[in-house]
Amino acid sequence: MDAITVEVPGPLRAASGGAARVAVPARTLRGVLEELERRYPALHRSICDETGKVRRHVNLFVNQQHMRDREGLDTVLGPGDVVIILPAVSGG
Amino acid sequence: MPDRVVLAIGTKKGLFIAEGSKTRKSFDLRGPFSPGVAVYSALIDTRGRPSIYASACNAFFGMKVLRSTDLGKRFKETKSAPAFPKDDGRALANIWSLAPGEGKKDLWAGVEPASLFRSSDGGDTWALSEGLSNHPHARKWQPGAGGLCLHTLLFDGKRVHAGISTGGHYLSEDGGATFTASNKGVGAGFNPDPYPEFGQCVHKIARHENAPDRLYMQNHGGWGDWDGPGGRRPDIGVLRSDDGGRSWRSIAKGLPSDFGFPIVVHPHDADTIYVVPLAPMTRTCPDGVPAVWRSENGGGSWRRLTKGLPRKDSFFTVLRDAMDIDHLKAAALYFGTTTGQLWMGRDGGESWDCLFDSLPPIHCVKAAVV
Repeated sequence: MDAITVEVPGPLRAASGGAARVAVPARTLRGVLEELERRYPALHRSICDETGKVRRHVNLFVNQQHMRDREGLDTVLGPGDVVIILPAVSGG
Repeated sequence: MPDRVVLAIGTKKGLFIAEGSKTRKSFDLRGPFSPGVAVYSALIDTRGRPSIYASACNAFFGMKVLRSTDLGKRFKETKSAPAFPKDDGRALANIWSLAPGEGKKDLWAGVEPASLFRSSDGGDTWALSEGLSNHPHARKWQPGAGGLCLHTLLFDGKRVHAGISTGGHYLSEDGGATFTASNKGVGAGFNPDPYPEFGQCVHKIARHENAPDRLYMQNHGGWGDWDGPGGRRPDIGVLRSDDGGRSWRSIAKGLPSDFGFPIVVHPHDADTIYVVPLAPMTRTCPDGVPAVWRSENGGGSWRRLTKGLPRKDSFFTVLRDAMDIDHLKAAALYFGTTTGQLWMGRDGGESWDCLFDSLPPIHCVKAAVV
C-alpha cells in the first residue's frame, strides 16, 4: 500500500506530535482517516466528530481538489497524492 | 490564606482571567486563551491546589477542555474532551457545565446534546454517564434557542440535580447512576400542558451548600400575558423548592418580569438570592435600564439594585452562567453582558462598578477566592 502524505495545519500539530506532514498507508481518503484515527486519535477527533463525519468547518483536499469534487471519502489515492487538511473560511 | 480573587470569564472569542487582591480595587486581565473560540463553561476548582478548567467550543475542530494549574497564567488542552461512543449516533456540540465531583480529580461535564460525562483524572479521559444521557426521555428533549444543553449540575452527597434546556430538572439519589424527572410545579409556556412531566426550559438552578433541600430556579418565564391555548401561565419563571427539588413554587411576585437566565445564592445566607429580570420579548434589560434584583427572604420580596449601573439605553442580556458571587465576607457579585461588559457589585450588589467594558460577548463568569 502506498504511503499518502497528509499536510497538517498549524493549529492541529499538537495532535500530530508537532509534525507538519505525516505519511500513512491508505488506498482511499477514508483509509487515510482510519489510519489517522489509529495513529493520531486526537488529530482524527479534530477532523471528524464521533460519528465519523468530517466536521462541518473542516475541508479535505486531495492535491488541489476538494474531496466533494472527487468521490468524497471514497476518493482513490495513489503514489504522490497529498491530502491537505484546511479549516473552512468562516468568521463572525 | 486565600488572598486573591480570580474571575474566569468565558466569551465568544476565548477565555479571559481577571485577578485582583481581596480589596477588589482593580483587576488585571489575562487572555484570551483559546483565542477566537467560544467558551461557554468554566470551573475554578479550589479543592487542594487550585485548577481552572474551561470548555472551548472550536467551530472548526470540535470541543476541547482547557486546564490551568497556575491560576490561569497558562492553559493546556486536556488529553481528550467528552465524546459519545461511536455507535451512539450523537456528536458533541458544546460543553455547558463543568463541576467538581466527589474525588479530588473527579469532574463532571454537562454537554449539548444534553448528556452527562464523568472524568476521574482531572479531565484527561471522559466516560458517558448512561443514567441521564440514555434516560428514556432523552431522545424527546428539544433544543431551546441556545441548543439542547445540560447547563446545571449540583451535588449533595449522593443527590445530583441536573438542569436541562429544554428537558427540565432531573434528580438522582444514587450519585448520578439513575435520574428521575422532578418538575412538579415547574411550568412550561410553550407546551399545551402547562405543567408537563418533563420538557421545561429550565434556565438555571442554584442552592446554598448548607441548605441543600432548598433550591432556586430561573425557569423560562415571560408567559404572564399569554392568552393562547392552555391559558395564562403567570409567574412560572422564578421558583423555589423546599423538599430537595421534588416540588417547586413561584417566588416571582414583586419582580418586574419573571423572565431571566441566571440565579445566584449568596454564599453566607441561603435566604439571599439574585436574579436579573429581562423583558420577555427582547430578553434584554426592561426599558433599557439594567437592574439586579435581590431577595433577602428566600423570594418573599425583592429589592432592585441599580447604584452605579447605567440609567438608560442599555439593552444587553445576562446569560445563564454569566453571574456569580465571590465568598469573601462582604461578598461581591459579578455579571457579564452580551455587550462585553463585566460588572462587579460590592456588598452583595449594593453598588456597581464596570471592571471591563469592551470584552467580547460574555457567556460565563466564575468567581473564586484563592
